[in-house]
Amino acid sequence: MNVALTLSDFPDRLSPMVVKELRQGLRTRLFGGVLLTLHLMLVLLTLMSGGAENAAVVSGWFDGIVTLVLCIIMPLRGFSAVADELKSGTLDMLALTRLSGGRIIFGKWAAIASQSLLLMLSILPYVVARFVFGGLDLFGEIAALFYKWLAGVVIAAVIVALSTQRQFWMRALVVFLPLMIGGCGAFSFIVMSRMGTGTSSGSMFTFFTKSGGGSALLVAVGLAAWTIFFFLSLAATRIAPAASLLSVVKRSVHLVMLLSLLLLGWLTGSGADMSMIAAVALTLLMIDVLTERVNEVPSVYAAFYQRGWPGRVALWLLAPGWVTGLVYSALLLALVAVYVGWTRSVDEAKLVAVSASGTWMIAALVQLFSTRRSRDLLPPFIVFWLFVNVVIATLGRLLVMPLAMKSSTARFTFALPQLLPAGYATAQPADKAALLDLGVLTACVWPVILLFAAMLAWRHARPARQEGWRMVHGQKGGDAL
Amino acid sequence: MDRSQPAVVVEDLHRTFGALKAVDGVSFSIDHGRVVGFVGANGAGKTTTMRIMATLDSPGSGRVCMGGHNVVHHPAKVRRLLGWMPDSFGTYEHMTVLEYLDFYARALGFKGADRLRRIQEVMDFTDLTPLADRMSNKMSKGQTQRLCLGRALLHDPQILILDEPAAGLDPKARVELKNLIRILAQEGKTILISSHILSELGEMCDSLLFIDKGRIVHHGDAESMVRGTATAGETLVNVQIAGEPARLIEWALTAPLIKIEEETKRGARLRIQAADDDTLSGVLRRMIQDGLPVLDFHREERRLEDAFIDMLGQIDKNTFKPPPLPAGLPQKNAEDAK
Repeated sequence: MNVALTLSDFPDRLSPMVVKELRQGLRTRLFGGVLLTLHLMLVLLTLMSGGAENAAVVSGWFDGIVTLVLCIIMPLRGFSAVADELKSGTLDMLALTRLSGGRIIFGKWAAIASQSLLLMLSILPYVVARFVFGGLDLFGEIAALFYKWLAGVVIAAVIVALSTQRQFWMRALVVFLPLMIGGCGAFSFIVMSRMGTGTSSGSMFTFFTKSGGGSALLVAVGLAAWTIFFFLSLAATRIAPAASLLSVVKRSVHLVMLLSLLLLGWLTGSGADMSMIAAVALTLLMIDVLTERVNEVPSVYAAFYQRGWPGRVALWLLAPGWVTGLVYSALLLALVAVYVGWTRSVDEAKLVAVSASGTWMIAALVQLFSTRRSRDLLPPFIVFWLFVNVVIATLGRLLVMPLAMKSSTARFTFALPQLLPAGYATAQPADKAALLDLGVLTACVWPVILLFAAMLAWRHARPARQEGWRMVHGQKGGDAL
Repeated sequence: MDRSQPAVVVEDLHRTFGALKAVDGVSFSIDHGRVVGFVGANGAGKTTTMRIMATLDSPGSGRVCMGGHNVVHHPAKVRRLLGWMPDSFGTYEHMTVLEYLDFYARALGFKGADRLRRIQEVMDFTDLTPLADRMSNKMSKGQTQRLCLGRALLHDPQILILDEPAAGLDPKARVELKNLIRILAQEGKTILISSHILSELGEMCDSLLFIDKGRIVHHGDAESMVRGTATAGETLVNVQIAGEPARLIEWALTAPLIKIEEETKRGARLRIQAADDDTLSGVLRRMIQDGLPVLDFHREERRLEDAFIDMLGQIDKNTFKPPPLPAGLPQKNAEDAK
């Protein structure tokens, strides 16, 4: 049988993965249901927004519903995005096409972002109607809507990254635990739903309030794009083949972005703000590079050896695996600590170093206690991270706060890098310096343990490096690697 | 693809999962255009070996080259040559058969009219055209297998790895699949196919690879396997004569290389201490020369399943003598199997 096939719903230039996800996503009952329900509620709210007496209540509901859809329901569609492919075995079939891990992950995310964009655009007429009938600030409302969408697509990137973990309970724990602890869920919801609607005067980041709207928007979009790239590349690393050199691209982009951020802070005189953003970014980047499996594919190392001594230097920073990740994270930490010391204070630089050591501590625990069979170090890292945070929250609430209320210093906080900032913040002024120095000294234990584990792992990968060397330079040499 | 080298070369392949040695020194090679059956019990190491060959897993040690490209060093080049059909796989919800194939064709780099033309060819070949608008997750097992085969054929791969393609299929779907594989073999594709239905493999394959506990224990053609040459070096022959069977028994008692296995109503089953065609035809010639009225003389062939089980039994008793592996490959794992 030969029947002429026709299929022209999406153009060739769209990524195949985006086409697939859109074809599937737009047909789901969830998307249709959300779209209809959203519009039904927005029609009602728009009709109710005529009277000035209930304007605030209607605005609250309007923002709340839109935030719920754009920042929670739509991103949660990515909850099993990759896990389902892993479980059904379809990811293997995708891996055999020309789609790289990065393109697969990007497609998953882009489809959610596009559907969110469709929803956001469909909301715009209601915003205009509310401007016409309710006299609201049109551009402010449109900006608020855009920020909600932006926040939603960043959250979607986080959730898609998490979906590379097969275990449902782990994904659920990471997504829902922070929302549940201490009523954090309700708080986040309120903050997000008023985000961008003029309540930012109390922002901790003065850059966004001091600078003009255009610059703030650019920086916000830039930071969002970096965050999305971070999470998507983190996910792509988990599904990429062993011979992939994704880490080179990923780490180079992160280094450039971090340097740009610090430079921006220096140029705009907002170094203090940027240093705090950089410190947060540093923690995230460390999680990524310290959970990469040590690579034992010779061609990966050969790619570096081909480029002579610059390649050999780059290998130490950019080659896949947590061993080079340790060197890379030390470089980033040095950069950020110097910058924080310069823009804020030496004490804060020390605190940044101790916080970074907290991440090294979890990485060291993963190396000490996880089995050699663990192909992916991220799941044990998440488990240890959750465990340590629960311990810290408990200790903070049970011990640090009561001591602070009695005007005493919680000296024991030097022992745990993650707890030291709380101990330092509540310490008596006379004790601060000594506590911090002791904390820095103690925190050094973790990178040392990690360094020892790294040396063993590096030695284990030596045959692969030697083979890589021989692939480039023939049978001679490679013994010194 | 470099045709001066074998299509598939696996050398001293090892893969462990913790303490479990899933693949333990596997070596074999497959020439271009050959259809090779891969046989082994569950957990013998078939799927792990096939996944490594398909670049979906990494070898612990050893070398695997597909079409002359190392699977670890050049996975992208290998993937272009390779069609992979896994033992279990899922389809997508909310996606028709046509959209499913369109997605994979896009992912393989086909564009515009070229893409639709290739999809059309594959759908015609696998007889999926009438199902073009059917949801891909609402099809029978046989239809799903055909869809998966169609997907694997989209980029016209030269090497096909089919892991249990006939598992769970009804007899009709099995015959359809077998016919498709036969056509692909005629087109000159190199095919490695694993299956539990050994009789089917015997019909389809040029040679068989038997794997047990992560080691290759036999690499040869199905014919030698069922005749028993690979394991025992002797042949069972069923002979019927006109008249009294006692004449045959008398003759057999005096003939060299022949033992009586069992007397039958019209003759006997004879065990001949040889398996080559010349010796067997010589025995028949002697019978006729000695005046035996032979009505039927045929070699008894064991079913492949029996041959395989016999072989596993001999390995367990350490009495198995594996035939030599193809020349140019390490012989170590065959010796280890003793």
